[in-house]
Amino acid sequence: MVEPDRTPHGSPPSLWPVGFALGIAVLLVGLIIQPFVVAPLGALLAIVFGLLWVRDVTREHRGPVSAEPVVAAPPPAPVPTTAEGFPRSKFLEAATLGLGGVIGGLVTVPAIGFMILPAFLDQEVDEVDVGALDDYAEGQWLITTFLLDPAEGEVTRRTAYIRSNGLIESQPSFTILSSRCVHLGCPVQANGLPDEKNAKTFKNKGGAEVRQIPVQPTGFGCPCHGGQYDNEGNRKAGPPVRALDRYEYAIRDSRLYLRKTYSVSWVKEEGAKARIKKYGAADPGQHVDGIEQILYPIQPEQITG
Amino acid sequence: MRPIDERRAQQKRYKEDVEREGKPFYPFAMFHDTVMSLIVVAVIIGLSVIWKVTVPGDAGEEGYGTEPGWIGPLYSEPADPGTTSFTPRPDWYFYFLFYLLRIFKWPESVILGTVGIPTILLVILIMLPFLDLRRERRLSRRPVAITALIVTAISMGVLTYKGATAKEALASEVVAEVPKWVAEQGLPPEAEPGARLFAGVGCVACHTYLGTGSSSLGAPDLTEVGARRQGGVDGFVAFLKNPPAPMIQFANLPDDDLRKIAIFLDASKGPKDE
Amino acid sequence: MPPLPRQKSTRRKQIETMALYPLAWLEERSGLVGAVKYFLFRKVPRDVGWPQTLGSATLTAFLVQAVTGVILAMYYKPHPDTAYESIQKITNEVTLGWLVRGMHRWGASVMIILLFFHMARVFLYGAYKYPRELNWIVGVLLLALTLFEGLTGYLLPWDETGYWATVVAININGTAPILGPFIVNVLQGGAEIGEDTLSRFYSLHMLVAPGGIFALIGLHLYLVIRLGVSSPPWSDEAAGREREPEPPGSGRSGLTQPGPRGAAK
Repeated sequence: MVEPDRTPHGSPPSLWPVGFALGIAVLLVGLIIQPFVVAPLGALLAIVFGLLWVRDVTREHRGPVSAEPVVAAPPPAPVPTTAEGFPRSKFLEAATLGLGGVIGGLVTVPAIGFMILPAFLDQEVDEVDVGALDDYAEGQWLITTFLLDPAEGEVTRRTAYIRSNGLIESQPSFTILSSRCVHLGCPVQANGLPDEKNAKTFKNKGGAEVRQIPVQPTGFGCPCHGGQYDNEGNRKAGPPVRALDRYEYAIRDSRLYLRKTYSVSWVKEEGAKARIKKYGAADPGQHVDGIEQILYPIQPEQITG
Repeated sequence: MRPIDERRAQQKRYKEDVEREGKPFYPFAMFHDTVMSLIVVAVIIGLSVIWKVTVPGDAGEEGYGTEPGWIGPLYSEPADPGTTSFTPRPDWYFYFLFYLLRIFKWPESVILGTVGIPTILLVILIMLPFLDLRRERRLSRRPVAITALIVTAISMGVLTYKGATAKEALASEVVAEVPKWVAEQGLPPEAEPGARLFAGVGCVACHTYLGTGSSSLGAPDLTEVGARRQGGVDGFVAFLKNPPAPMIQFANLPDDDLRKIAIFLDASKGPKDE
Repeated sequence: MPPLPRQKSTRRKQIETMALYPLAWLEERSGLVGAVKYFLFRKVPRDVGWPQTLGSATLTAFLVQAVTGVILAMYYKPHPDTAYESIQKITNEVTLGWLVRGMHRWGASVMIILLFFHMARVFLYGAYKYPRELNWIVGVLLLALTLFEGLTGYLLPWDETGYWATVVAININGTAPILGPFIVNVLQGGAEIGEDTLSRFYSLHMLVAPGGIFALIGLHLYLVIRLGVSSPPWSDEAAGREREPEPPGSGRSGLTQPGPRGAAK
């Protein structure tokens, strides 16, 4: 009679696969009924039992399986290679690198987000009151200096060249040019002598100081690289890539309020009859029209609003 | 032998030569380094002392430190993001890039001057060991390298100098020149109000007059324009109201002012010989 | 025969060993003393001289910057409302504050000048060729970081020159294709220059760039020590020079027997 083969084959019966299946079941049920608590619990169970199951199954291939004691003199034990002497090294390598990657991600991603995201979010500015409509005589240019955000202080001081164009269809019309050159952002100067003697300073509705200086410019020029603009902000000479930016404005209770800036490629005609080719606000040096506009396809405010 | 083997053999020879014939770093080379470092520190301290001592005024005064001494002020005015009277400039070692921006004054070419050329130069600089693969190190056998070095040094020097001396003509500064103009050109007294207007409304942003102003935009020098044009004062008034492009029209100035400017221009017939 | 070196007495040897004991203690536990000795007593070619001091001169200037920078940071207040006043205070009130600030400001210019001279010297000597290519690349990165330091530092006094130079510098970066507008926002810390801009530039100037410069200098020096200082290419005794191959028939090729070492030929 043949002796029954007593060498164990495969692994002894174990409960790990049961646990694994249970975990998968809980995961699937949880995805349907409660994705935030039950599903992760199921996933956890599945992972833990799954790892234990895998460990059992691979036990044979990792270490020696002693079926019956060997009587012969054991050969001199060879120095185990890493794979033999440290049977779990492959798993440990993968786990170390994987966990290291996770830790690195956990530290870096929030930090980078912290560094970069706030520069794009919440960038709107409130309107700024720059004085009563009566302050602005028709045809008179005023160099107007104001704070964009009084809470943030002097660092938000800006200058606009404002000229009232009288009424058009019984609505007041203003030409409001930003003083930032659209070549590289230098402070543009009016080509004319400011009338300091008739300058006015007052506090606006927000409590911040606004200064107005009359001037009679024949254009605007930039002291950095020689850009020149005419009285509608169109580029006349030099490297500026478009016309001067303008401010949107609102009129309430007979007061003039400045809103956000927008970019302009050209202005035809003058004053109240001006036709302005308008674009979203772009940084200096960035073309908004012409062939070079493909270099600057997306402005941040288009993404974050 | 492949080139790489030649190089390795040379490096091996180098190491052997140094072992056999070289001198110990300390004290021989380190002595030179120490002397040079001492000079460097002395120069830095010396510059600081000169900088501080030559700035005019006393420490307690209002506005102290904003007037330049021999090598510059202690600080300029506090930052004013709404200024309309400041001329921005970078630190001196960026003047060559700054002047590059003034050279590229056509809007289509702006990106060349800002990022195009500097990026290309930086890439060439980094890739230099891969662009020059020859083993040759003797100067007499490296004409391209020598030429490149000399051309680079000279052009950077010239660009830095031109960046340092670049000037725009600001209305407030030019008006101060008017008495000098009156004296040099022998202008009659009725031309002086026009001279002030000329200085103030931005003519010198495009034209030059007796050396002041900007010539980079191609507008003619006006020092002798009175002798050049024959139309008299009326001719100038008409011209200012309707000049040929790209000159801006000055028709929005009051007739009175236009007349004064015209008188001034008509009287500008060149410096008096004294 | 050269005179034999004077024998040190046993007593003298004992005293020396005791005096140098701290170094021996440190060496056994860290190996650092040996490393310093290796650095100091390594051989360099006979013909290196003053031109090769430009690199260490640049390093000295950088160390001046680092030390004066740390001291300045103890008094500087990095906010738009307080920065200018703190600079005035450093310059006018703090003891020798003008000297420390002056050294930092002029040290920057001196460092950049020396850096360009050093780069030109290395270029002239062809010391960017094999095996020193990596060192050259590290050097160019150091140049870029140093110029970046100058750029970010210029804003910190929050005066007119610094502010407007920074506006232009940020907008220059903004003209880069596609990513330009985003670079502007990241550098500015917002859609406009504000208080975040100053803090950002301060962090870049004090922490990011110096960290990078220190690391790259370490790499740069390691490579110089490992690869060696190159001789001037025009030197007659340049290390690594080509040798004339031995003409046939010279030397001991079997006609006579090789004599004992030191014996007359």
